[in-house]
Amino acid sequence: MSESPEAVLESILSPDQRAHYQLAWLSTVDHKRIGILYLLTGTVFFVAGGLEALAMRLQLAVPNNHLVAPDTYNMLFTMHGTTMIFLVVMPLLFGLANYFVPLQIGARDMAFPRLNAFSFWLVPLGGILLHFSIVIGDASTVGWFAYAPLNETPYASRLGVDYWAISLLVLGIGSVGTAINLFTTVLCLRAPGMTLRRLPLFTWMNFINSFLVLAAIPVLNAALVMLLCDRLLNTHFFLPAEGGSPILWQHIFWAFGHPEVYILALPAFGIISEIIPVFSRKPIFGYEFVAGSTVAIALLSFGVWAHHMFTVGMGHAMDLFFAGSTMLIAIPTGVKVLNWTATMFRGRIRFNTPMLYCIAFLIQFLCGGISGVSHAIVPLDWQTKNSYYLVAHFHYVAVGGILFAILAAVHYWFPKMSGRMLSEKLGRWSFWLMVVGFNGTFMIQHFLGLAGMGRRIYTYPDLPGWGWMNMLSTVSSFFMAAAALVVLWNIGSAMLRGAPAGDNPWEAWTLEWATTSPPPVENFHALPPIHSRRPLWDDAHPERPDPVVGPDHEGTARPDKYRSAMVAFVLSEGAFFGTLILAFLYFNVQPQQGPTPKSLDLLKTGVFSICLFASSFTMWRSEKALHRGSNRGMIAWLSLTIALGGVFICGQGLEYQNLLAHGMLIDTNLFATTFFTLTGFHGIHVMVGLLLMLIVLGLAMAGVFKSKPPPALAMVGIYWHFVDIVWILVLTVVYILPRFL
Amino acid sequence: MNTIQFLTTEWVWCPLALACAAGALVIYLRGVGWSRRGWWMVGAIASFLIALMSPLAALAQGYLFSAHMLQHILLLVLAPALALMALPKSTRVSGRISGLLHPAVCWGCGVAGMWIWHLPALCNAAAESRSVAAVQTVTLLGLGVAFWWQLLAPCEAQRIAPLHGVLYLFAACIACTVLGIILTFSPVTVCGAYLHPVDRLGIEPLIDGTWGMTPMRDQQIGGLIMWVPMCMVYLGAIFGQLARWYGAPSEPSTANLHTT
Amino acid sequence: MGWGWGTAVVNALTSMSPASQGTEEIFHLWMISIAIFGLIFLLVTGFVVYSLMKYRWREGEAEPEQVAGQLTVEIVWTVIPMAIVVLLFVLTVRTMAVADPGPAPAPDLIVTGHQWWWEVRYPKSGLVTANEIHIPTGVPFSVELDSADVLHEFWVAQLARKMTTVPGHPNHIWLEADTPGSYPGSCSEFCGTEHAWMRFTVIAQPPAEFAAWERAQLQPSVLPTEAGAVAGEQLFMQMSCVSCHAIGGTPAHARVGPDLTHLAGRIQIGSGVLDNSPDNLRNWLRNPQAVKPGVEMPNFQFTDQQVTVLADYLETLK
Repeated sequence: MSESPEAVLESILSPDQRAHYQLAWLSTVDHKRIGILYLLTGTVFFVAGGLEALAMRLQLAVPNNHLVAPDTYNMLFTMHGTTMIFLVVMPLLFGLANYFVPLQIGARDMAFPRLNAFSFWLVPLGGILLHFSIVIGDASTVGWFAYAPLNETPYASRLGVDYWAISLLVLGIGSVGTAINLFTTVLCLRAPGMTLRRLPLFTWMNFINSFLVLAAIPVLNAALVMLLCDRLLNTHFFLPAEGGSPILWQHIFWAFGHPEVYILALPAFGIISEIIPVFSRKPIFGYEFVAGSTVAIALLSFGVWAHHMFTVGMGHAMDLFFAGSTMLIAIPTGVKVLNWTATMFRGRIRFNTPMLYCIAFLIQFLCGGISGVSHAIVPLDWQTKNSYYLVAHFHYVAVGGILFAILAAVHYWFPKMSGRMLSEKLGRWSFWLMVVGFNGTFMIQHFLGLAGMGRRIYTYPDLPGWGWMNMLSTVSSFFMAAAALVVLWNIGSAMLRGAPAGDNPWEAWTLEWATTSPPPVENFHALPPIHSRRPLWDDAHPERPDPVVGPDHEGTARPDKYRSAMVAFVLSEGAFFGTLILAFLYFNVQPQQGPTPKSLDLLKTGVFSICLFASSFTMWRSEKALHRGSNRGMIAWLSLTIALGGVFICGQGLEYQNLLAHGMLIDTNLFATTFFTLTGFHGIHVMVGLLLMLIVLGLAMAGVFKSKPPPALAMVGIYWHFVDIVWILVLTVVYILPRFL
Repeated sequence: MNTIQFLTTEWVWCPLALACAAGALVIYLRGVGWSRRGWWMVGAIASFLIALMSPLAALAQGYLFSAHMLQHILLLVLAPALALMALPKSTRVSGRISGLLHPAVCWGCGVAGMWIWHLPALCNAAAESRSVAAVQTVTLLGLGVAFWWQLLAPCEAQRIAPLHGVLYLFAACIACTVLGIILTFSPVTVCGAYLHPVDRLGIEPLIDGTWGMTPMRDQQIGGLIMWVPMCMVYLGAIFGQLARWYGAPSEPSTANLHTT
Repeated sequence: MGWGWGTAVVNALTSMSPASQGTEEIFHLWMISIAIFGLIFLLVTGFVVYSLMKYRWREGEAEPEQVAGQLTVEIVWTVIPMAIVVLLFVLTVRTMAVADPGPAPAPDLIVTGHQWWWEVRYPKSGLVTANEIHIPTGVPFSVELDSADVLHEFWVAQLARKMTTVPGHPNHIWLEADTPGSYPGSCSEFCGTEHAWMRFTVIAQPPAEFAAWERAQLQPSVLPTEAGAVAGEQLFMQMSCVSCHAIGGTPAHARVGPDLTHLAGRIQIGSGVLDNSPDNLRNWLRNPQAVKPGVEMPNFQFTDQQVTVLADYLETLK
């Protein structure tokens, strides 16, 4: 068919209908459209973050400059960091994943299209919330990682930090939703023959990445919740005056923050792993090692966080353990770089724009990785941390690495998404402008840092070399801006006048290229047979196909997507509660003034706890009854579960009432704070569970479960058992152990 | 005395441990016979003996909490894994026992073995009483075998599926991380018996002076040992699982193909 | 000319110009690390560039041999980085032990970070000053680092490791200079509006000179005799200056802001924002907020006359 489905549709719609059709973008649940919405949103915020960066560079161009006021500058670097990480790179990467993961596995859409749309819309919402703080003149000025006590009310008394925290909570919810979706999609919706061992590396990296998101974002959520309690409810998690710990903020934040940078990096690695083979005309060298090293990086990324804290005074033993783990994580990353290079070796390299960006990625990411290892060497970090050397390091990996990978992906997949080719000439222009601009801006910053220039300073004295080095950096940053403009121009003009792309302009081998450009709504009319990691190669080269990878029927029984999604969700909640439990332990091992765990009534709580545990049993019976086909049995046991849960929550309410009557409020002391936070969030989860069960009960009584039962009960069951397990831990840690130790 | 002297002279004479080791070796040789596989058993027995008879054991007997942690690792993690690897592929357990050895149960055993002996009451008891220490040794070995069974059972079919094995190990890593964090960061002493060691061997000056091991630093290092090297072990095992998964042989499919 | 420029560049890199034993050790580790990293960078980049040049695609060429990997190569290039990591780790352990030994039982110097200035105390002599630290050459000082409010970070690249100041949790470093000189330092942990101007200087003097400086600093201030300065002193004691600043030998004892007893002898004022000169002092007094917006010292809206007499007085505090 020569015309795209869109064109045909356009020609048969009336003007009114056409207008509606455009609005359909706002209500879409199609993963491809949502992917494009993510990309558009990320681009808009990229412009914002980029302008913030240019403003900073202009202020720093000469010594003792007065272009912007000090707190304006501080706001600029805070917003720049927060925007680029949460509103640009994450949405761009999620957008690409959204568009291409279902295609690469031969699926029709993501596992949960409406959850997908919801997750997307939280991004503009979070972005607007964050930027609204600028509008009201109160934006956060404490940096994107907002160290305590500076982030607390005595030192940041206005609303900026609150807006920052709340917008991050909103964005975090969206990210977790996307991760649940990606995880479930890859696990459950793969086409027959697409076994886990045959996954394209972009999909594999996103699959592993979803674990990282599920485990790391809730840790941030816990930290933000604790901060908001401090700021709004007068608690003292992070204020030293009443026994709180500013260093605890750093631990919790970086326990999120370091996995976060790998959340940004892994999809980028996936992109490179797709593009380099195609443009080298060879399969990726060492697929198993690239895939396996990804797992290593994902796991190790949770064990390196305190390398951000080498100057805080943790003691040499701690410093050294984190130095070791950080040096170790460099190894799987290095293995990847070598595998990518070996893919090019003995290939037939085509220097199209996507490949150019990948080559620049290799060298720039190598540079950033090496400067990262230099930070792992603790005494060197004692010199370079919090200086421009550090700024250079993370921009080399985040921009020179990750952003370049995103640009490579945009140029690689644009033809598939739009049906048109980008201009190679404009592509080359933008590439060289970007390379010159990026390296000019950030290479010199290594030396600025070594010359003693600290980060986050709105101006600086006229020390030797500082002036011209900063000027060079500023001038180069405008080359980067020019490059960005050329990219946008390229995309814009290609959308209007680009050459038709056809199905597979790059002669690539993964399934997204086995359909039209752009794909039809249902993605595929037919799928080629899938026996290896490159189905289209096998199709095109029947005389020398790839070796078959594993049996075709391996893991054919795809897990149930509803249960898988709920397990993923429960994992993320587990990370959240884990953080709160650790905070409880941290603050309660030492005796303190005021209420203590011994003030709690273990007997009463024990009774209510037994009700809660019994409700797990009755929930199980309810599921069994449904399985047997007994609708009445299911309703009966479910009602009992709700009743028992209700008893528990009433009991907890009575306990709270009792404690409040005795003058124990959330801000009384750290025991009270951690007690109410931990049991409070658990109580909220119980109430949500009761609400869900009431809905299921209502549906059951309306007869919905009589014919083909929906998975709702099983899902709520998993959730409810999880809530009970958390209570076992809370009971042990809060009520039982403190009495007997 | 200095470190070298300490390492050469302070070996612990434990006839019970030697007898068990000898007995294990005899049972193994009679039951399985000698082959290259036997070296794993030698390794397992060596770990066992190092844990109970080397200078490490001397330190663990009331001097250093961190030494006690190393003992734990040798007994719970190293010796059982090596012992399982020494068994021939044909070794199977009966269906009933295999049913009991559900992944959740085995995981629970491993994590319990890690955690239980750190409860202050139990930790102190094991440090102070020889019989409790013996119980500790036996339970650690047993729980360790149960944990590693899922990953290293001699018969491939009785092992956990590779990708599930990755999750199994990662979850264990989380558990030991939480424990490690608690031990490392806790400002109070977890195992009070090590706070004021009785200096039977006259090595306190060496420990406190030359090595600079104050009780707080000792606990910190003990926590770090439980945490970082343990996670390295689990990470290594995860690589093993991935290698197993990717290396599994392919069945020929119906496609017409040549190997490259 | 090339060498001159090169030397100037290297001299500007204060992290590469160690002036104490500790930073010398760190510098050696730098050199070794740069050699290793440089080698790795050249090898890998070389591999990339070589592949790009040799294996270009030419029109009409067939697809190359589809090699999927090689186990030996993977093992080799995993093991070699592991060995490098072990080497770097061992060097790290060694350098840390040498460059950052444990503190002395009692500190020689207590530095407390405030928003946005440095309080400097010598506990053994009782000397209190601000923003300018004097030490004798060749004598290591055990420094306790504290904070009065938020996190700050003490960084004087040529003389010592960087260390955060944490409220409620004192940290320790050793500070030592081999040669006399003036060594710039700054706060390197973002601490609020004027973090950029929380700079300090460490002045290393030969021991005899340092002793003389210390003796002079311990002297209380002398009442001025010149009319303008006398008026300034009275103004100082009557107005809210005394609620923040201390001047030894006068009723002013407050420690909210920097100690001013020997202000006139310092090189800079405002924690590094201005050089200490008569004009600059007057500018500061006229409106500190114009010089360092957000600083804790408010704009008192002094008249020109008041500024002049106050400055006259402060200039007598040598």
